[in-house]
Amino acid sequence: MMGQTIRLMTMMVLMVAIGAGGVETAAQNQRSGAQSGVRGGVSSNQQRVAAGETLIRNATVLTVSRGTLPNTDVLLRDGKIAAVGQNLKAGDAARVIDATGKFVMPGIVDAHSHSMMDAVNELTLSVTSMARIQDVLNPTDVDLYRALAGGVTALNLLHGSGNAIGGQNTVVKIKYGRPVAEFIFPGAPPGIKFALGENPKRSNVTVVPGRPRRYPATRMGVAEVIRDAFTRARDYQRGWDEHRAAAKRGDKNLIPPRRDLQLEPLVEILEGKRLVHAHCYRADEILMLLSIADEFGFKIKTLQHVLEGYKVAKEIARHGAGASLFADNWAYKVEAYDAIPYAAAILMRAGVNVSLNSDSDERARRLNIEAAKMMKYGGLSEEEALKLITINPAMQLGVEARVGSIEVGKDADLAIWNGHPLSVYSRVDATFVDGEVFFDREQDITRRPTLERERQQLEQLEANRPPPQGGAPPSVPRERRPAYGHDDDVWDGGDDHR
Amino acid sequence: MINQKHFTAATKLRGLLLLAALLPSLASVAEAQQTGSVTVRTMSTPTSIFVIRNARIVTVSGADIDNGTLIIRNGRVEAVGAAESVSAPAGAQEIDARGLSVYPGMIDAATNLGLLEIGAVAATVDTTEVGDMNPHAQALVAVNPHNASVDVTRVVGVTNVVTMPLGGVISGQAAIINLNGTTPGEMAVTPSAALVIDFPRAAGGAGFFSQPQPPNLTETIQTRDRQIERLRNMLRDAEAYGRAHDAYRNDSRLPRPDVNTTLAALVPFVRGERPVMFRAERERDIRAAVRFADEMKLKPIIIGGNEAAQAAPLLKERDVPVILTGTLDLPPREDDHYDVLYENAAKLQRAGVRFCISTGDTGAQVRDLPFHAGMAAAFGLPRAEALKAVTLYPAQIMNVSDRLGSIEPGKTANLVITDGDLLEARTNVRYLFIEGRQIPLVSRHTELYDQFKDRK
Amino acid sequence: MRDLRPNFLLVLLIVSAVSICPRLMNSTVRAQQQQRSAIDTYAITNARVVTVSGPVIERGTVLIRDGLIAAVGANVNAPADARIIDGAGLTVYPGLIDANTSLAIPRPTPPATPGSEATAAPFADFLGPRTPPSAMSPNSTQLPGLQPEILAADIIRPGGEQIEAARSAGMTAALTAPRGNVFPGQSALINLAGDTPQQMIVATPVALHVGFTPLGTGQYPGSLMGVIASIRQMLLDAQRYREVNAIYNRNPRGVRRPGPDKSLAALLPALARQMPIVVQAEREREIIRALDLAQEFNLRLIIAGGAEAWKVTDRLRALNVPVLLSLNYPRRTTAQLPEADPDPLRVLRERAEAPRTAGKLATAGVAFAFQSGEMTSIADYLTNAAKAIENGLARAEALRAMTLRPAEILGVADRLGSIEVGKIANLTVTRGDIFARDRHIAHVFIDGRPVELKVATTPPAAGASGTVNVGGTWSLEVTTGAGGAPQPVSVTLMLQQQGERLSGSIQGPLGSNPIANGALGAGGEVRFTVPVTDATQTNEATFTGTVTGNTMRGTMQIVGRPSGSFTGTRPQ
Repeated sequence: MMGQTIRLMTMMVLMVAIGAGGVETAAQNQRSGAQSGVRGGVSSNQQRVAAGETLIRNATVLTVSRGTLPNTDVLLRDGKIAAVGQNLKAGDAARVIDATGKFVMPGIVDAHSHSMMDAVNELTLSVTSMARIQDVLNPTDVDLYRALAGGVTALNLLHGSGNAIGGQNTVVKIKYGRPVAEFIFPGAPPGIKFALGENPKRSNVTVVPGRPRRYPATRMGVAEVIRDAFTRARDYQRGWDEHRAAAKRGDKNLIPPRRDLQLEPLVEILEGKRLVHAHCYRADEILMLLSIADEFGFKIKTLQHVLEGYKVAKEIARHGAGASLFADNWAYKVEAYDAIPYAAAILMRAGVNVSLNSDSDERARRLNIEAAKMMKYGGLSEEEALKLITINPAMQLGVEARVGSIEVGKDADLAIWNGHPLSVYSRVDATFVDGEVFFDREQDITRRPTLERERQQLEQLEANRPPPQGGAPPSVPRERRPAYGHDDDVWDGGDDHR
Repeated sequence: MINQKHFTAATKLRGLLLLAALLPSLASVAEAQQTGSVTVRTMSTPTSIFVIRNARIVTVSGADIDNGTLIIRNGRVEAVGAAESVSAPAGAQEIDARGLSVYPGMIDAATNLGLLEIGAVAATVDTTEVGDMNPHAQALVAVNPHNASVDVTRVVGVTNVVTMPLGGVISGQAAIINLNGTTPGEMAVTPSAALVIDFPRAAGGAGFFSQPQPPNLTETIQTRDRQIERLRNMLRDAEAYGRAHDAYRNDSRLPRPDVNTTLAALVPFVRGERPVMFRAERERDIRAAVRFADEMKLKPIIIGGNEAAQAAPLLKERDVPVILTGTLDLPPREDDHYDVLYENAAKLQRAGVRFCISTGDTGAQVRDLPFHAGMAAAFGLPRAEALKAVTLYPAQIMNVSDRLGSIEPGKTANLVITDGDLLEARTNVRYLFIEGRQIPLVSRHTELYDQFKDRK
Repeated sequence: MRDLRPNFLLVLLIVSAVSICPRLMNSTVRAQQQQRSAIDTYAITNARVVTVSGPVIERGTVLIRDGLIAAVGANVNAPADARIIDGAGLTVYPGLIDANTSLAIPRPTPPATPGSEATAAPFADFLGPRTPPSAMSPNSTQLPGLQPEILAADIIRPGGEQIEAARSAGMTAALTAPRGNVFPGQSALINLAGDTPQQMIVATPVALHVGFTPLGTGQYPGSLMGVIASIRQMLLDAQRYREVNAIYNRNPRGVRRPGPDKSLAALLPALARQMPIVVQAEREREIIRALDLAQEFNLRLIIAGGAEAWKVTDRLRALNVPVLLSLNYPRRTTAQLPEADPDPLRVLRERAEAPRTAGKLATAGVAFAFQSGEMTSIADYLTNAAKAIENGLARAEALRAMTLRPAEILGVADRLGSIEVGKIANLTVTRGDIFARDRHIAHVFIDGRPVELKVATTPPAAGASGTVNVGGTWSLEVTTGAGGAPQPVSVTLMLQQQGERLSGSIQGPLGSNPIANGALGAGGEVRFTVPVTDATQTNEATFTGTVTGNTMRGTMQIVGRPSGSFTGTRPQ
């Protein structure tokens, strides 16, 4: 096919361009530039490449849903988990990985991320439901690669928490190096971000002199913004219903209601078609939101952060909301002062679906350790701890049929670890998404000298040399990107969202 | 300001009532600060004697003892050894540690613990003085013994921290504290352990809320050079100040020199009697700090050290230790290898540079210390070295290894008894001793947990 | 052979226009009025003619009359009334078109918004870049930055240094669009000469322009997400506006009056695919955003910028989306400073890739035209086009991308873009191939008239031009290169130096004239031209020399004549 020919040509050009040697699989080639955190020139022109077959042999498989299987093979075929068992056979062309002594775990699902976003907050209004994260994705964000290196394969990309009702989220698979369209998690239900407390009331923001303060400034106002929005949404819904009915009757000269992109997503919420992910901290505001949801007859799918959720665990369970927490972050602001690391255990035992999230490109790389902490704080079992970062967040995002556990027929999104992933001494050897390798530690290390050579060559180009004289002063080098940033903690700027 | 004397049982009771009313988060900030920990400390008397039996004892400085006995008396480790070689004194409280391991308490050598309660609430933050040159600012003075992070941190096995001021060029003086005590004085191990210099450097952009960047590197370099010059002058002044006062003491016929508390505070540091911590991350700045210390005859310690591996030969040659605070940082540059900071410690260890691993945290997340070391171990640092990097090495770097950092007779009985590997996240601390006192394994967090876990 | 001396003296004494009417010197406006009063018939003879639309005529004539191309061919004879330009050694190209600019659009002074000075670093993120719109539409329903009804044609101002620089670099026409954030307005295609906006405008409105820049005023949209959402909402509102007005206009009775909305009305031609939208998009993901938006609303998209368009060629071709490709290639602009971080590999690759984009688009069958992309020195336009050729673009394609292709993409190919009878006489005439390193823009015709060329069109060798100081007043002795007993003529040369550019004037016994095409090289090489006009034809003398300290020497060349020489000194 023409398209394929062009794709292959493009790839060949790329391989030459980046100095890649030897013959690699399509997946390796796609990712070549991604090694060591540098994205190669992979273009949208490239069509999706079939993932082929990979046989992972003799691993300890943490299925999450069906226990731990020692000395087990996992066969990946065409992007799916084709078989899990012993002495599996693969085709001649299959890549075979000896995973003796290693662990296979489902890809980690991070239910709260602001990675790969060219914008985080639309802060000008208190209701920005028309804003869509999917419009602003940046698939070249190098932190995606770093998350893959921590065994993460899927992210829930959420609008910031600067608004009572924020924008529409997007669930992605980390197909780093691929065109942005391939990131979108197929079939993931649409969702939206809400936020309560200090952030939407702009408590920690210096008011710009001369600019009016944005409403609301209290938790009372936050509640009213949400109630008002849904009151308008219900009215909007009625307006359209009436219009459609009139049109059906054959009324003449009907003027249709205005399509309102702010209210449409809220109607979808009322109709149960859009999942609500609500940033919240304090117990009272959690109850407030649940009661508004009950009042308008919709469900909160997840409470995000929900630091004081443990105080109202039964109310959360009764509503049926999930909870997506930090493992043990606390005290960074007043509304985080009563956070406790036992929250996950309390909520879980109350019957709430609980996940742990990162809300930080840094923390995303070590969610396995965050999960392991929960064995200490509240005594979760290994499997319960693993669920917090795999099947539970997958359920919260409505993608549990495809990811979150190692089961035949599910997407081949998984990672091979060199030790038990709940051990601090373990690291990821390789991460697969849809059966393709998107991170491979060995290749990453092998690639480093090649990239260094490429850099040296490129630096010789005239366009890359400094002007012969003069020239603008360079920017000040960045010496740190510190751990323990909370992208949500004050108003969702975050270290990475320039 | 919190008046320590007024921190009475009544205050504690009020805190409890607030909690009982399920309203602690509605308490005012000041209230929150005071009620940071509502633990009623039931400390054993200093004279308690403990005998820990049947334990695996990880001494850190020597070989592990598989079935060992350890005696705690007068706040110290009196004896440690194989079961048969140690006999318990009369009246000792017995702890059967079968299946458990005894470790020295972990030490985080770069924190602001105790100086800050809630980062976003300015009124609770005592980390950063006004102005650039604050050598007389002493962290110990502002340590709130009742800060909630104290309990929260120690119950995971971190028994000691270095807590330090932030900001400016000379930030102030760091203290080494035990994470136990009713007054700062009771907590202090070394009240003035080191001078903290945020070494002037042309780098920044640490985070979103960092100070607005100067417009360009050229200007930043000029500012840096001016600041280094001011620092140099001040240190020289301090040296002269010390000599003038000594001279006057020896010969009262000399004119009486003026007094200056700022300069006076610097004297022990410019004389090399106490170390100076230089915050520096990039190779260039690390080298500059070492050169500067050489020039001024200071005893340098590098804090930060993200690029310390590149300066390893110099650091080794000058025997300059590094307190790594960036193990879990994101790599600062787009092209950095994903593991560049994870493997930093391993590289220093292989190069023979003295180092330790720290969280560099303001307080609340100091409890992650073992996982910083664990990550370094996952990326090439031998496990035994990772353990030392949070126990013996920080003690050595901070000149307290005669008292802390390992289990040896005569050392302070800061001990953690666990049901597993000290650095593993899943491991539970079963007993905790600080200065030989058994510390209850409770904190603000366990209390809230107990309060709400069974709410029906 | 004729005796050259009288002609040469004419050169130095600035005979024709200047000597006939010396009071009109130094005044562009008056010069143009004066030109207008002259006869507007020109014949460029004996020139190589690259028509672009047809075969190259190796030796032919282009006849210009009344602003249009009246004839072109190998066998065209110059009529008696024509002013003859001897094109020997010259090549005539269709006038170059800059496919996306804001030329002639006044740059707004940012209004003093309250609190703007307090916009400290933490706010910069959500406030976005402050790019105040070019103009505000009175009684608009939308905020500034969201006013598609603004017409470039309404706000352009003739003249100005930028336009002069552009045409001196060979540009004859440009698409020009208002500046702004989201909906800055609608562009016009203008000729780069004319005393009034009306004289300049070739076509208006040409395209609806769309940008992804937040308002930056604290008002919605304040982020990229909001920008895209607001575009979507406005397009939906416009669709409804059309519908509601149709209902109302059929029968107003009983229908609530919808009320006029010029912002929404301005979107209707784009929604009806009668007008293309031009979206500024460089990165792959920006182009994809534009493509998605265009598909969602069935719009005729044109991408402007397009640095990474080569990554999206499949979709661009499938949707028939052309690219106004910027020749403002990224390059390192920062000084070497050992303490600085190295540029990321990604950036190094982007800079390496930029000159290859055009070739890749051509190979992939994506239509593209070149634009200057707000480059700092417009002289780089041709230099960078030549780099595209070095990196795989066919020469003919490169030329087309500066002439006929932009005319086609912008809907003016019936009047611009090639040398064909009846088209507007916009011509760019060079000595040497237009892509050659030593090219020299000899003449530029716009609307059938030669325009004054003012600045360097040949980029001097990159180098330490700043270290050589050639400014000041020079005494020159000029000697012709032929004839019996050459007699030196003394003239005074005043030079002003601005980086690599030279400007100034030359003065003889009877008057003075500004120099043109002044350029300074790294080693003190100077080059400039002086127009030479006698009764029948205009030519120019090109001075090329080297400055050493306070002396200058070199050669002087008049088209078709043996070369002369000159020496000069600069008294202290």
